[in-house]
Amino acid sequence: MKDDPRKADVWQGTMALMVLKTLETMGPLHGYGIARRIEQTSGDRLLLNYGSIYPALVRLEQEGCISSEWGVSENNRKAKYYKITATGRKQLRKQAGDWAEAASIVARFLAMGGNPS
Amino acid sequence: MKKLRAFLDQLTGWFRRRSRERDLREEFESHLQLHIDDNIRAGLSPNKARRQALIKFGGLETAKESVRSTSRMLWMEHVLKDLFYAARILRRNPGFAATAILSLALGIGSSVAIFTVADNLLLRPLPYPDASRLVMVWETNSHTREQHNVVSPANYLDWKAQNTVFTEMAGFFAEYHAVFSHGERNEELDTQVVSSDLLPLLQVQPFRGRFFTREEDQSDARVAVISYRLWQRWFNGDGSVVGRVVQINSRPFTIVGVLGPDFYFQKRSVDLWLTLGLKAGNATRMGRWLQVLGRLKPGTTVQQAQTQMTGIAGRLSAAYPENNTGWSANVEPLRDSLVRQVKTSLFMLLAAVALLLGVACANMANLLLARYTVRHREMAVRGALGASRSRIVGQLLIESLVLALAGGFLGIAFAYLAVRGVMHWAPQELTKFANVSFDLRVLGAGLAISMVTGIVFGLLPAYIATRKNLRDGLHANAVSGGGDASRGRTWLVGAEVAASVVLLAGAGLLFRSLVGLQAVDPGLDPKGVLTFRVSLPGARYSQPEQSVRFFQQASEKLAQIPGVESAGAVSYLPFNGMAAGTDFRINGRPPAKPGEGLGTVVRTVLPGYFRTLNIPITRGRDFTNTDNVTTAPLRFIVNEALVDKYLRGEDPLTKSISVDMAMDGNPMGEIVGVVANQKEGSLDKEAEPTAYYVHAHLPYTAMVFVLRGHSAESLVEPARKTIQEIDPQQPIADVRLMEDIVRETFARQRLSAGLLVVFSLASLLLASIGIYGILAYYVASRTREIGVRVALGAAPGRILRLVVGSGIRMVIFGAAAGLGSALLLSGLVKGLLFGVGPRDPLSFVVAPALLMGVAFLAAYIPARRAARISPVDALRAE
Repeated sequence: MKDDPRKADVWQGTMALMVLKTLETMGPLHGYGIARRIEQTSGDRLLLNYGSIYPALVRLEQEGCISSEWGVSENNRKAKYYKITATGRKQLRKQAGDWAEAASIVARFLAMGGNPS
Repeated sequence: MKKLRAFLDQLTGWFRRRSRERDLREEFESHLQLHIDDNIRAGLSPNKARRQALIKFGGLETAKESVRSTSRMLWMEHVLKDLFYAARILRRNPGFAATAILSLALGIGSSVAIFTVADNLLLRPLPYPDASRLVMVWETNSHTREQHNVVSPANYLDWKAQNTVFTEMAGFFAEYHAVFSHGERNEELDTQVVSSDLLPLLQVQPFRGRFFTREEDQSDARVAVISYRLWQRWFNGDGSVVGRVVQINSRPFTIVGVLGPDFYFQKRSVDLWLTLGLKAGNATRMGRWLQVLGRLKPGTTVQQAQTQMTGIAGRLSAAYPENNTGWSANVEPLRDSLVRQVKTSLFMLLAAVALLLGVACANMANLLLARYTVRHREMAVRGALGASRSRIVGQLLIESLVLALAGGFLGIAFAYLAVRGVMHWAPQELTKFANVSFDLRVLGAGLAISMVTGIVFGLLPAYIATRKNLRDGLHANAVSGGGDASRGRTWLVGAEVAASVVLLAGAGLLFRSLVGLQAVDPGLDPKGVLTFRVSLPGARYSQPEQSVRFFQQASEKLAQIPGVESAGAVSYLPFNGMAAGTDFRINGRPPAKPGEGLGTVVRTVLPGYFRTLNIPITRGRDFTNTDNVTTAPLRFIVNEALVDKYLRGEDPLTKSISVDMAMDGNPMGEIVGVVANQKEGSLDKEAEPTAYYVHAHLPYTAMVFVLRGHSAESLVEPARKTIQEIDPQQPIADVRLMEDIVRETFARQRLSAGLLVVFSLASLLLASIGIYGILAYYVASRTREIGVRVALGAAPGRILRLVVGSGIRMVIFGAAAGLGSALLLSGLVKGLLFGVGPRDPLSFVVAPALLMGVAFLAAYIPARRAARISPVDALRAE
């Protein structure tokens, strides 16, 4: 929210998608785990402040896409675990589709720009 | 109870964020701990591990703030969404929305209007610093039980000299009219004649110039203070007005000061202040006419002042038994003296308006409850989809707030109009020159009331509607899910009915009083009579003969105006303000002991007065022009009340009386006639014994003319011209129709009765909406059952009885409760009633009967619908 709002919107939407996808693949996970997983999946090309994941989590929870519950981690630490809900799965499918479509349009567009005919 | 508390907790959770804040902190700590664990496992030292984790996190506070602002934004989104949802729902149900908004607007509008008027006229602090220390000091008479008698000038001077409880004491005479002339302009003005201490005692400052000095007061210097209004009207606010010489009563006076625009004392119509000129040498003990104001010393209570004044008055009674036997003193806070007469009616109106507001709120709650039961299924669906209870309650709350605020704004608009109406109907003595303004406090209070109504009466139904597990709504029949709700609604309607009966009974009592007042025979015929006052300036009419000649000549000339049937004049009209009173003696009886004199009202009249007002002469004769000559023998006319009280069983026409007006030794004069009574002061007062002088023997310089003619209004200009043909500088004042004067005497009763009738009808309307709503709902929820009954052969009449009967119980209980409360409360308005007792059977029968009638009608409409249900449709309805 501290950046340029347009960029933040894009970022927020992307972040939400990545969180949902992570939770779908990994099952229930705490905030730290989600952030680590996102970084790892990007091949460490995406370097984020871990703190910035939490606004996205709050929003997703309010929208009913994820639910949360306090639990205990594998090395016996108390942690809040997030879990994707049915609404979240639906949302994920929809957004993933939208994202793929947008990406392919942009990709095609950029490809066209490279070859003036 | 426990459930209610849990509900409230949830509700406050909707607003509270403390627990969320703690949760977030713990979550961040756990996040860091997990990260640190990982870092240590990767081989970092604990310190480095922690630092790295913190760096990677990117600032704890930033992250927290970011989370907070996200949830704030989400909350705003919810509220906005709810608002749009509420607006959409309400738009889709315009009947419901309009009824709720209108009933609330009615309640809030009337409250704001009545409170605005009350606040402006009575409740606002008096416009003088430290006004709570201002008191009026009256004389009291143990014989007549009068508690607020005007004061004799000599007693006032003794009080002033002997008391130690007042920082100042001032005397004034408020019923004075002076002819003010400047250039070609002459006008009679309402004037207060005051001692030099009065204005400083009120602690007001001159707007221009200064006030009177003590020396000016004592030496009767010709100085005047004028009102801001007069300064603007006559002098266009010219700054050089101070020091200017004008003519007052045809004598030159110097204007020394101007009062501020907001200043008024007792009457708002006063434009001129003159000095009283009382001092030891000219203050008489006999004759009471002065009003006395005091300012209590700091720390002195009214009670202490009363004790001391009683002591002083006791000593004065002992010292001057002839004039002071039976007289004592009464200290009364100034505010009490100003609102004494209207207090009861005002409190009654405020109570009535509170009842109406209550009915309006109950109606709104009733409507909301009805809707929530119908929407039970919708709530259940939302609950099943994951909406928390607090989210649903929040949404219901926003709906009711939207309604309440709409009602509040509409109510204020309505109040704005209503205030104009009320001011139009209110007694002129209250509203003359009063500048009623809407103030922000009252408007704010109105909106606050509507908000509170929205919250309280929105939460209550929301609580009831969501108390049962929301999910139940899905299993159950959508319409039968509201047992609690319909019980709650029955109570609400019962309460509405009770309040309406109280209002109706009150309206009935006041209305009957008003009808009674209007039927009172005023003892004269006011129709087609024009009245106006002529006050001759003493400077040009210093000899009594001059004034006698002027009025006799004027009366004869006025009677000759085309269209005038007859003309006469009197010193004080019977229904307009004060009248002079004194003691009298009857020839042949021993003089009365001090304090037990025979009291009578004294008027002086011109021949023709009784004829013009159609006051019957019951014995003897009227005054004639030959009586109205200074050299004619002294003769009196008295009224029936005087004969009844003092000459019962004797022939008054053989008696002579002497009336103490301190004129030429008060010789005995023959009674030549007896006239019918007029009520004194106002129509609900009894007639007082009255002795009439003919003008030549008691030549007042100010008289009120009465003219009877075909169209009294059109006589104003001819009358003015006639007076000015005799004296071109002589204005006429206080031009009014006698009918208006009589009507004005019950203006207060008319206002109270009118308002109460309006309030009670509004309340009746609201209650019948409530009854209708409940029964319509009853029919809708039992359509199937009724269908089955019809199919099994129930006659329509039976169905009708079933439905009406189910609604009428709450009406009967409500009406009985209302009747009981009304009987308990009616004693409080006793002082406002005339000609009916506070337990007037008619009012107490008609009020519940009217309500039952309307209730039946409201119940009949849904009942008839039920009776016409076709079994086929009914069974298909599910």
